[in-house]
Amino acid sequence: MIATNDDLLALITTLKMAALSTVILLLIGTPLAWWLAKMQSRAKVIIEAIVALPIILPPTVLGFYLLIAFSPQSAFGQIWQQLTDSQLAFSFSAIVLGSVLYSLPFVVQPLQRAFEQLGDSYLEAAAILGAKPLDRFFSIVLPITKASFITAASLGFAHTVGEFGIVLMIGGNIPDETRVLSIALFDHVEAFNYTQAHLLAGGLLLASFILLSLVYLLNHHNNNTSAVGKNYG
Amino acid sequence: MVEPSSNANANFNISIKTKLDNFTLNIDRHFNDQGITGIFGHSGSGKSTLLRIIAGLEIKVQGEITFNKQVLFSSHSNIFIPTEQRNIGLVFQNSRLFPHLSVHQNLVFAQQRCKYSTLDINDIISLTGLSSLLAKKPAQLSGGEQQRVGLARAILAEPQLLLLDEPLSALDKHSKAQMLILITKVQQSLQIPMFYVSHSLAELQQVANNILILANGEVVDYGDIHQVIHRLNNTESKPLISPQTSLAVPIIAHDKEHALTQLALSEKQSIYLPLLTENTDENNDKEAYPPGALLRCFIFANDISITLNEPSDSSIVNHLSGTINAINKYGNHSILLTIHCAEQEFFAQISVMSYKKLALELGKNIFIQFKASAIKTLAAFPLKNASFIEE
Repeated sequence: MIATNDDLLALITTLKMAALSTVILLLIGTPLAWWLAKMQSRAKVIIEAIVALPIILPPTVLGFYLLIAFSPQSAFGQIWQQLTDSQLAFSFSAIVLGSVLYSLPFVVQPLQRAFEQLGDSYLEAAAILGAKPLDRFFSIVLPITKASFITAASLGFAHTVGEFGIVLMIGGNIPDETRVLSIALFDHVEAFNYTQAHLLAGGLLLASFILLSLVYLLNHHNNNTSAVGKNYG
Repeated sequence: MVEPSSNANANFNISIKTKLDNFTLNIDRHFNDQGITGIFGHSGSGKSTLLRIIAGLEIKVQGEITFNKQVLFSSHSNIFIPTEQRNIGLVFQNSRLFPHLSVHQNLVFAQQRCKYSTLDINDIISLTGLSSLLAKKPAQLSGGEQQRVGLARAILAEPQLLLLDEPLSALDKHSKAQMLILITKVQQSLQIPMFYVSHSLAELQQVANNILILANGEVVDYGDIHQVIHRLNNTESKPLISPQTSLAVPIIAHDKEHALTQLALSEKQSIYLPLLTENTDENNDKEAYPPGALLRCFIFANDISITLNEPSDSSIVNHLSGTINAINKYGNHSILLTIHCAEQEFFAQISVMSYKKLALELGKNIFIQFKASAIKTLAAFPLKNASFIEE
């Protein structure tokens, strides 16, 4: 069984999309998770619910609204077109933006839990010793919650690789642009091309299984050895 | 009496009126303290909150604090210097060592962020006895070791003021004594002014020069440690402390044969307590309790009894003659006597029945007696100028 060029192209598009989404997710998700972890206001539950929506919402619902937002007729679509000189809907950028929204809870939730569990005690101790906020984040928060960052990135990446509905709605099926593995798989099944379908489905299954196993292994290891979760005040 | 000396002062103006969960913290006071200032109060008195306000860890505070002429915060002028710029150290109750760093890395963390680092990290490591622990992670340390690292780390940031928030409360008795000795040693060798918060008067009695008493967010008393304790003895309404005699007296000698340590109450009079060197660990005893060192100790008022004649056939080791200076009712069934003897005030709590039986009155000459074991101490400090011993 040899993968076709089309499938390889879909694999590359998928990996590009997932990698870029994961980077953006970490950049957006970290401050968002931090803000939620420290938030005292009652509005917190509303924002938490909004962030968590993609977990239960049918991807086509999110995809439908994004399609409207990304279309050249919408204000957002027009601004995008003026800034980048290209249409947003049915582009690679569109599926990355969609993925970021779609996978946001998978990054924000583990980070928020880690930040809540970390609490203020070490941060206060670091501030007392003269560490400024960014210094505190990089020398205290990041190393102590490293495992949660790896979990968040892995889940964000894996969930993005596995998305289908949103990509179909806002990306279409353009080779080398928006045609990702899950859509290629769908095409093979539609065409009764079961050999190729097996290859893609089996590959995705195996890759997801390995990734999740690594995440759980890391979490288990972390629970046994890390000081986070033990009470140091 | 010469107390541990220090050149650096903590020159403070604290004016805070801020509503907390259960009460209002209301402090308006000027401090110009050397050495260690104790802050005593029961839980919920606002003492830890006061430290957190000084350190900049509490944000919603009304009032103003200036330290050595620098405004740390002022709610009127909207000034708030962030914690990391205050250069005020804090030793936490639970040490809060960074769990992902080794002991040595925890110390380096502090030193690297100190703007004008003058201390040699190795000096501090040997001062605090951490040489053998440097490679360990905090989770591998005992509670006492963690607090020593916490203290060393705080020192290496070279703060202009060091705050200690219940630094001994998580430690066992032995580690408590060691840590108290270490805190005093650090204070004397580095001369950092310290504010030491505790709910244990015994702890503060051992180390503080001055003491601030807080109750329900209000200042009850402030001043010299021994004087304040003696004043609090006669608080009739709601007693904050168990009445006691607070002393700082020089060690004369250790009598190993009888297992007693002799203290000089005055040039002529001595008192005895159980041998100190047996209570400490072998590496430390010689250093901790040399003759001439000033011993802080206290005697609870209900451990002192009164006789009218000098006891000659009593098993009780300590007896001193004195004059009754004050007589106060204490509770419903007892009397608190203030007795002047050997240039000291002693406090004895006796029953109303005994008081009547002995027909005690002001100015009467009596004898006080107490067992060697009634003299309580947690630590002792070497001090050169206990004058009348050296001669």
